[in-house]
Amino acid sequence: MLRKALLISPEICIGCRGCQIACKEWNNLPADETKNEGTLENPSDLTPNLYNKVRFIEVPSETTPLRWLFVSQRCMHCDDAGCITICPAPGALFKTKEGAVAYDKDKCIGCKLCASACPFNIPRFDKNDKISKCHLCSDRISEGLSPACAKTCPTGAIRYGQRDEIISNSQKEGYEKLYGQADLGGLGVLYAFKDAPKIYGMDEQPAVPETVLLWHNVLKPLSYLGLGGAVAASLLHYIAFKPKKDEEDK
Amino acid sequence: MSNNMIRKASAFEILNHWVLALSFFVLMISGFGFLFHLEGLNSVFGSFNQMKAVHNYIGIVFTVSLLLTVFYYLPVSLKFSGDDITWFLKGGGYFSKKTETPPQDKLNAGQKLYYIFILIAGIAIAATGFIMWLRPPLADIRKWILISHFLHNISFDFMVIAMPFHVYLATLANPGTLRIMVYGTVPIEWAKKRHGKWVKRAE
Ligand code: HEM
Ligand code: SF4
Ligand code: SF4
Repeated sequence: MLRKALLISPEICIGCRGCQIACKEWNNLPADETKNEGTLENPSDLTPNLYNKVRFIEVPSETTPLRWLFVSQRCMHCDDAGCITICPAPGALFKTKEGAVAYDKDKCIGCKLCASACPFNIPRFDKNDKISKCHLCSDRISEGLSPACAKTCPTGAIRYGQRDEIISNSQKEGYEKLYGQADLGGLGVLYAFKDAPKIYGMDEQPAVPETVLLWHNVLKPLSYLGLGGAVAASLLHYIAFKPKKDEEDK
Repeated sequence: MSNNMIRKASAFEILNHWVLALSFFVLMISGFGFLFHLEGLNSVFGSFNQMKAVHNYIGIVFTVSLLLTVFYYLPVSLKFSGDDITWFLKGGGYFSKKTETPPQDKLNAGQKLYYIFILIAGIAIAATGFIMWLRPPLADIRKWILISHFLHNISFDFMVIAMPFHVYLATLANPGTLRIMVYGTVPIEWAKKRHGKWVKRAE
């Protein structure tokens, strides 16, 4: 099956946060108690009960003293996902056939390593220390439905579809390159930015932390090659030199 | 103890050695389980959730056991002399039957080095393990976890490479050594050849 993706267009978003509510409804997530931080952005960060949120960003522009950007944020469903690379529990994090990065709380051992390996700081943990994040409504998309956020969005600021179609359509609309088109092997959440990503609060070049890659590519294989090599070297020495026996000294 | 035997390890040292070795193996095996998703280990540990609990709590046992060795292995291991250097230059006499090695202390130069090595790598693996497990409330905790994860695995590599040589040298390579960690005693004649300085002092 071809990879699916979300396309987010901040300029079309009206900040209604219908997506946040729809997500909570579908995933049965309770409301969090929040406090007024002096902005309409609420809650101020993702929580174990909040898989997606709209960031309210105030930036000056060339023509107006204030530009208000609404940027919907969630797990990016990376192709090259740091969370999956570091996870020590088989089956806790996995990719669905649509390319969503989903999880199984029963298999999660609560080590929270994924939170450190994620370039976007997405994973949160419930009261049992189990991973909690957007799974692209994997239970909906496997049935051919669209994710709750995209389904609910009244303006089309969040759209769901075939990833390659999203990319080719955007190119026709004049977007040379979407954010996430090539990063981390290609993200499952694409952004139609009209400006530099950092204006929208996103990393220019998101990457899996280098220590995670070095660990995966070097330290991991070295552990069993090293152990095996040490055992083999010992046995070779035994064959070549034989043990030290006192009698032979005499 | 008969007259021709000499005690090299106390009962406590023997017990602690096996606590250290056993906890090490449990941690190493579960560690490999996490690294390579060895689901076959579920028949031993039950589930990965339980394996994590075992790995964490046996980590405490390993740490305590390791720190206790400081009282009896560290002082002698820190006494590094010219004889130790000569011993290393001659490869400990392990690469020729004819090599004569200088007289050694209660631990020979290689054993001293192995101990210092296990102590440093062990402290590093324990400290980073506790950071990942308990997640102290630091501002940059995600970074600290990454650093800890990296150092934990570097120490792991060092330890799993060093450990087989230790087991080999304490068993096949040097007949008569293993009984130190079973009975605690060795024949004086055996000890004179291997730990001459120590026997001289003890007599
Ligand atoms: C089946 C496995 C093992 C066997 C047969 C074994 C055997 C021995 C013996 C016989 C000694 C006494 C040497 C002497 O006093 O001259 C010893 C010492 C020691 N063992 Fe082990 N050991 C094993 C596993 C381990 C493991 C896994 C560790 C550490 C993680 C360890 C750490 C030490 C240390 C630090 C010493 C003291 C320094 C030295 O002798 O090099 N041992 N071992
Ligand atoms: S917290 Fe759970 S999902 Fe995250 S790395 Fe650990 S086991 Fe995997
Ligand atoms: S955004 Fe983070 S949690 Fe989501 S797939 Fe990528 S690495 Fe994993």
